[in-house]
Amino acid sequence: MKAVAYLMIGLCTLIFGCREEYEAPVPYQFVSPPGAGRFTTSIRQAMEGVYAVTNGADRFGSQVALKWTYTLEGADTTFYLSIFAGQDAAFFNLEGRPDSDSLVVAGFWRKLVNTETGLVRFSVRTRRNGQIRNFSGVSRPGDTLMLDGTYGDNSVQPNRRLTLLYERPLNSTPYEILAHRAGGRTSDLLPTSENSLDMIKLASRLGATGIEIDVRYTKDGVPILYHDNKLNLRLIQKNGLIGAVEEYTYQQLSSHVRLINGEKIPTLEEALETVIANTTLRFVWLDTKYIGPMDKVQAIQQKYRQRAILARRDLRIVIGLPSTEAVESYRALASKENTPILCELDTAVTRSLNARIWAPRWTLGPQTEEVKAMQAENRTVFVWTLDEPQFIQQYINEGQFDGILSNYSTLVAYYHYTRQP
Amino acid sequence: MKLSNALRKAAWLFFVFTLNVAAWAQAERSTDSTRSERGPYAIVVSMGGGVSYYAMTLGVPVELERGRTNRLGVPATIRVMWYPDHRLRLGLETGHVPMYRYRGQVNGLPSKVAVSSVPVLLVWSMPLAWLSGTERSLARRLSLAAGTGAYFISSRLDYVGTVNGKTTSLGWMVASSYTQPINRTLRAAVELKWYNSVATDDAAFAVQLQLVWRAFSW
Repeated sequence: MKAVAYLMIGLCTLIFGCREEYEAPVPYQFVSPPGAGRFTTSIRQAMEGVYAVTNGADRFGSQVALKWTYTLEGADTTFYLSIFAGQDAAFFNLEGRPDSDSLVVAGFWRKLVNTETGLVRFSVRTRRNGQIRNFSGVSRPGDTLMLDGTYGDNSVQPNRRLTLLYERPLNSTPYEILAHRAGGRTSDLLPTSENSLDMIKLASRLGATGIEIDVRYTKDGVPILYHDNKLNLRLIQKNGLIGAVEEYTYQQLSSHVRLINGEKIPTLEEALETVIANTTLRFVWLDTKYIGPMDKVQAIQQKYRQRAILARRDLRIVIGLPSTEAVESYRALASKENTPILCELDTAVTRSLNARIWAPRWTLGPQTEEVKAMQAENRTVFVWTLDEPQFIQQYINEGQFDGILSNYSTLVAYYHYTRQP
Repeated sequence: MKLSNALRKAAWLFFVFTLNVAAWAQAERSTDSTRSERGPYAIVVSMGGGVSYYAMTLGVPVELERGRTNRLGVPATIRVMWYPDHRLRLGLETGHVPMYRYRGQVNGLPSKVAVSSVPVLLVWSMPLAWLSGTERSLARRLSLAAGTGAYFISSRLDYVGTVNGKTTSLGWMVASSYTQPINRTLRAAVELKWYNSVATDDAAFAVQLQLVWRAFSW
C-alpha cells in the first residue's frame, strides 16, 4: 500500500500543484490631462536632475534620476514625470495632479526584476536653511529643490515617507537608450504588450530615446510587429490559433488575434505612424525577423523617413541586419539609396555593406579596439541586448558605445543620466 | 515539429529516469528467494473511445458574434503496455483527443476554429492491489495510470481561407480505470482520464470504454 500512497501523493502534486501566475498590475489610474497644468516649462526644466534619496533609500537606492517626457495626441501634449532608480530596475511614472493647489505629482512605481509595485505621491518643495516650503516655480539662491512624498505597496494608499533632494543636473552627453521590443518584454509584466502601439507610446516614459521592433511578414505580405516565429500564449491571448505567424493573412490575424494585454498585432506602418505622431523617439531599429525579400520594408522605411523629415522630426529609421540571410536580402535590393542599415555581424561585413551603424552582441565584451576603429570611421556603435545591471553600468561608465539596447531601458536611463563625466 | 533543445533534453533525461524506475523494481524482485524464475510477462494492447470535455477556459476572439462553442469531443486511444512480474507497468499511448471548437461571425464573415491533439505519452500504470486479495477483488481490478510526453496540437481556422496550424507541447495524463475480465485474453475497461497540454494551456477530461487484449505473454 505504500507504493499506492506514494503514487497518489505524486499524482495529487501533479494535478493540484500550482504553477504560480505572476502579475504586477498598475495600481494607479492616470488622468492624463492634456497640457502641463501648473508644471510650466521652466518648472519642468528645474525639476529634471539627479536626486539623493534621503527617505526610502532602502527600497529604491541612494540616488535617482528625474526626467520629464511627453506624448502627443493630435494637438494635445501630455506630460509625464519619470524617475529612474538603480535598485532592482525600479522606476516611477507620474503625472501632474490638476486637483491640487500646489505642485503635486502622483502615479505608480514598479521594480522590473520582480512584481513589486505601488502608489506614490510627491509634493514639489524647496529647502532653504532647514526651512521647507512649497515650490512656486521660482528658485532663490540657496534653495534646494526636493520632492517630498509617500509611497505604498500595491494599491494601498501611500503611507511610507519618500524624499528626494536635488543634487545635480542630468548627464547631457548624447546617448541612445534603445528599448527592446518597442519598450520592453511582455514577460516583464509591463502594462502593455511588447511590439504593440501602446508600448511604443509608453517607451519614452520607460527612459527610451529609441526602440527596436521585430518585423515579420504575414502570408499576404503585410509587414507586422511580432517577435516569435509562432503564435503562442507567451505573446497572445488564448484563441485556439497556433503555428507560424507567416501562415496567417493579416485579415485573419487582425480579426482573431490579440496580444497578451488585448492589443491588435500592429502593422509596421501603424507602428512608424505612431512613432511620428505620438512620440518624441528619435531612433527606430527594424529587426529583420523574416527571411525573404526586403523591398516592402524598405519602401515603408523610406516613406516614413520622408514623413519624419516633413514633420521636422529628428528620427532615424534603420533596418537591422542580424544574419547572413538578412544581409543577402539587403544585397538583393534593387537600390540601396536612402536605406540606412544597422549590421549586427562582424566589422568586416559592416564595412563591406558600408553600414553606418555596427551593433555587436554585448556578450562579445567591450571590444575596445574594434569599437574605436569603427567610430573613427564615423560609424555609430550600439551594443545589444544588455540587461545585466553591472555590465550596463560598466559599459556606460567606460563610455565607448554610443547606445545600449536593453529590456531594462529604465536601468540604462538611470546609469546614463546619473553618470558624472 | 521540433522541440526546443532544452525541452528535448529534459524529456530524454526523464525517459532514462523512468527506465531506471522499472529496473529498480525488477532488481528488488530478484532478491525474492522463494522464486527462482521471473515472469510471466505480457504485452497488453488497449483500444478505447469515449467522450471528452474541454476543462480549461475557452479563448474566443472578442469580435466573435453569434458565437457557438463546443467543449465536447470523441477521443480515441490506443495503448501498448508491458506487464512485468511486478506491479508497475510501462508502455506507450497515443490517440486523438479533440479539445474544443467555436464558430460564429467575425466582422460579418463566418469563422470556425477547431483545436485537437495527438498525445504521444510514456505511460506507467499499476493496479491498486497486486499479490493481496483474490482475482475478483475490486482493488486488483482498479488501476491508476500516469503518463508524460508530447502533445502534437493542431488547429484549423476557416475564415477567409483555411489555415492549419501545428505546434508541439510537453504534457501529461493521469487516469484511473476499472477492468472487467471477459475471457483469458480479453477484458473490458472503463477509464477516467485527464489530458493536459502545458504550452497551449489545454486540458480535457475524458471517459472511455476500452477493450484490453493480452496480445503476447511469456
